[in-house]
Amino acid sequence: MKGKYIITVSIGLVALILTMVMFTQFKTVYQTDITAIETMRETELRTELSDWKNKYDEIQSRLEDTENKIIEYQSQIYNSEESSKILKNDLIETEIYLGYTKLVGEGIIVRLEDNEFKQIERWDLLELINELKLAGAEAISVNDERIISRSEIATVGYQFILINGNRIPSPFIVKAIGNKKYLESAITVKGGYLDEMKVNEKTISYSIEDNIEIPAYNSKISFEYAEIKK
Amino acid sequence: MIYISILIGCILGAILGTHAPVISYTYSSYLAIAIIAALDSVFGGITSVLKKNFDLKIFLSGFFGNAILSIALTNLGQRLNVDIYLAAVVVFVGRMFTNLAIIRRYYVDKWTNIVEKKISEKNK
Repeated sequence: MKGKYIITVSIGLVALILTMVMFTQFKTVYQTDITAIETMRETELRTELSDWKNKYDEIQSRLEDTENKIIEYQSQIYNSEESSKILKNDLIETEIYLGYTKLVGEGIIVRLEDNEFKQIERWDLLELINELKLAGAEAISVNDERIISRSEIATVGYQFILINGNRIPSPFIVKAIGNKKYLESAITVKGGYLDEMKVNEKTISYSIEDNIEIPAYNSKISFEYAEIKK
Repeated sequence: MIYISILIGCILGAILGTHAPVISYTYSSYLAIAIIAALDSVFGGITSVLKKNFDLKIFLSGFFGNAILSIALTNLGQRLNVDIYLAAVVVFVGRMFTNLAIIRRYYVDKWTNIVEKKISEKNK
């Protein structure tokens, strides 16, 4: 009787253990996500890792290619920008030289005026401009008419002075940008322009300024007869 | 009596098993091989009962011993980088099939004997 009891209990215990372990295993297998990294076997992980490594290498090389291309393109852009910058600078310089731009700078303002006895003649203006040019004036204007290389200063019937095709009445305000000391000394030198004008009883005054504005030449410079020699 | 204890054990085991925490996948392969070994022992036990040479000590030692041994061998195989658990599965499942064949043969013989007896009784 006792032996049978032991057999019964132990067989029941065995059945309990077996089914318990089996159900635990069923549950585990059912609930485990096979594709999750935690559940993968080492070999699977290894192949997966090498796959990803290959992919990574491939993408890395592609990235390098693309980066190289980008660098190339950027250098090209930079080059074209550089050349366009140089061209722009050239253009600006040429425009300044031609007088197509408004300019600002230190310089001298000379005021010539008709008085009861004497009129200002074109020679006075021409001489003044010449003196200023000699002193290194970089831009000159008379009554807001810019003096450029092709500007004329002419007299029409002893009544008007003509500059750039425009009639200019008295008073004449001559502005010049340049080294203000040189410009001043060029006209105030003993026996120079200022003295000469005073001797001739003509009204003249001047002032040195730091912020003189000279307007641009605003008509077109065209060449009809001159050509570039090849 | 024995059948009742087996039934109670199975039901209790199923309940406990479904409420047990999920074990990690790494150890679940060991558990699987242990289950196969235990099942093999169970079928071996049934066969021995039918052959009337059942011994509880041998059964219990086979049940636990085979399970532990198979786990140990699987572990060793993983350390040696040899899939020893495959050999264990082949051996255990093969033995399970032979035991099942013996059980089937026993019951088929029994059943045919009964049927033949009935036929001969009818003929008398």
